[in-house]
Amino acid sequence: MDKKTVTTISYLSRLKIDNENEQKIINDLSNIIEFVDQLNDVDTSEIDPLANPLEKTAKTRKDIVTAKNLKKKLLEVAPSANEDYFLVPRVVE
Amino acid sequence: MSWETVIGLEIHVQLSTKSKLFSGGSTKFGAESNTHVDLIDMGLPGVLPVANREAFYKAIRFGLATGANINQTSSFDRKNYFYPDLPKGYQITQMTQPIVEKGSIKITVDDYDKEINITRAHLEEDAGKSIHDMFEGETGVDLNRAGTPLLEIVSEPEISSAKEAVAYFKAIRQLVTFLDICDGNMAQGSMRCDVNVSIKKSGDKELGTRAELKNINSFKFIEKAINFEIDRQIRLIENGESVVQETRLYDSEKNETRSMRSKEEANDYRYFPCPDLLPVIISDKELKEIKENLPELPEEKEIRYINEIGLDESEAKIISSSKTMANMFEAASSKTDDAKLVAKWLVGDISALLNKDNIDIDESNLSAENFGILIERISDGTISGKIAKSVLEEVWETASDVDEIIQSKGLVQIQDESILEDIAKKVIESNPNQVSAYKAGKDKLFGFFVGQIMKETQGKANPKAVNEILKDLLK
Repeated sequence: MDKKTVTTISYLSRLKIDNENEQKIINDLSNIIEFVDQLNDVDTSEIDPLANPLEKTAKTRKDIVTAKNLKKKLLEVAPSANEDYFLVPRVVE
Repeated sequence: MSWETVIGLEIHVQLSTKSKLFSGGSTKFGAESNTHVDLIDMGLPGVLPVANREAFYKAIRFGLATGANINQTSSFDRKNYFYPDLPKGYQITQMTQPIVEKGSIKITVDDYDKEINITRAHLEEDAGKSIHDMFEGETGVDLNRAGTPLLEIVSEPEISSAKEAVAYFKAIRQLVTFLDICDGNMAQGSMRCDVNVSIKKSGDKELGTRAELKNINSFKFIEKAINFEIDRQIRLIENGESVVQETRLYDSEKNETRSMRSKEEANDYRYFPCPDLLPVIISDKELKEIKENLPELPEEKEIRYINEIGLDESEAKIISSSKTMANMFEAASSKTDDAKLVAKWLVGDISALLNKDNIDIDESNLSAENFGILIERISDGTISGKIAKSVLEEVWETASDVDEIIQSKGLVQIQDESILEDIAKKVIESNPNQVSAYKAGKDKLFGFFVGQIMKETQGKANPKAVNEILKDLLK
């Protein structure tokens, strides 16, 4: 885990890391990875990947519309909106 | 230097379920902004997605129709990226265990057929819509579409020209509409397509660096965008530069592709299994039921039309190529005994009218019932083919009933030989010069007499009867 990796991950996850904390976070993440890396000692070649630790299958829905029109309420709780749309700082393509 | 083009397509097909992939939100197109948004589509804390089983069934139909493997256990992963129209900050998709793998589809280009392999088809949720040009300095977001089920169909890089790419897209569109899993409406974005294009020297084994063209939604633009991109890449390489792996946007107004740097900055989606969703398992029984209920596909229809109904190959091909045409043909044929005549009119006059108005047959005023009756009136001799044309045109404009038009305008064909004979005699009497010329050997004048009788009867005379009577009288 080096500085560059941490910078990339923090950009991708839009999490800001202060300069003073940076070294601590690099160390912490390195420790976590080292800990999890113990799993590499186990031979898993005969084991299928696990999609979910609960050994169950999904409940599914029938194709029915159940949602109500929540437009007003949803726009109200948004940080920024007008009467029709959520508003965000302009994204230019 | 000659170059080979290598193209792979990713087609996003909006599945025609009523509700979304993971919520009970409606998928209906064209609703007022943000009115079809459930808490799950919003990605609010504490909600759990629950998969819509019908979306799986529709995906499986596609898999079965392309001879693919159906993964009866399939699971969901998260694809992480930030964009305002993706409220959760990740898209739920199927990375490791897609529902469909390894199918193929036949395409027809000009004079050859080709089989294109389909790598996979997986379920995923659509994003919302960003509106960039309506607000000063801000982007508006409409989340109605967020969570709509998509089937992403990924082809092998086996397509070698813009034409083949268009043929492939058309074949997929035809198939999904016949399977009734997508409405195929390109203008409403029900089918969208990303195109991967690269070039390599003829004969080279290794693929060149590819560019990805995003979100193209018409046949015409697929062809233009690819052709532009091929030229651009050849120019780059021949000038000693190299192609950069990147996403490019096709601008239909300028007919060019240009780089979308922003998305490439750090293209790492950090896929991982979605902890909110358990694997979905489709039972043998479900699979069997879907298989048994698969509708007849275009190729099967074409063969049946030729072998059982006796249509020409070209007629059968045109009619079976579109679901709405095939539906019209079958429904109208059930109203008359003369299915071949139905086909002739569909491929001929009706296709011409459709082209003129640039509409699909289910958008026209012509109902299958009315069309069937029109054909029946021709084949039982009530009206002539010529009169039928004018009846068709009136139906086309006004959607009126065929029998009513025939009655109210007095268009019923004159079959009564004694009436026709009287008219023929009158015509002969008033044209003595033509009669003597005809009798002197000018055979072509026969058409003149037929024309005069048609004129007298406003086209209502039965042409076959007229011919016989004239031959007799002019002996």
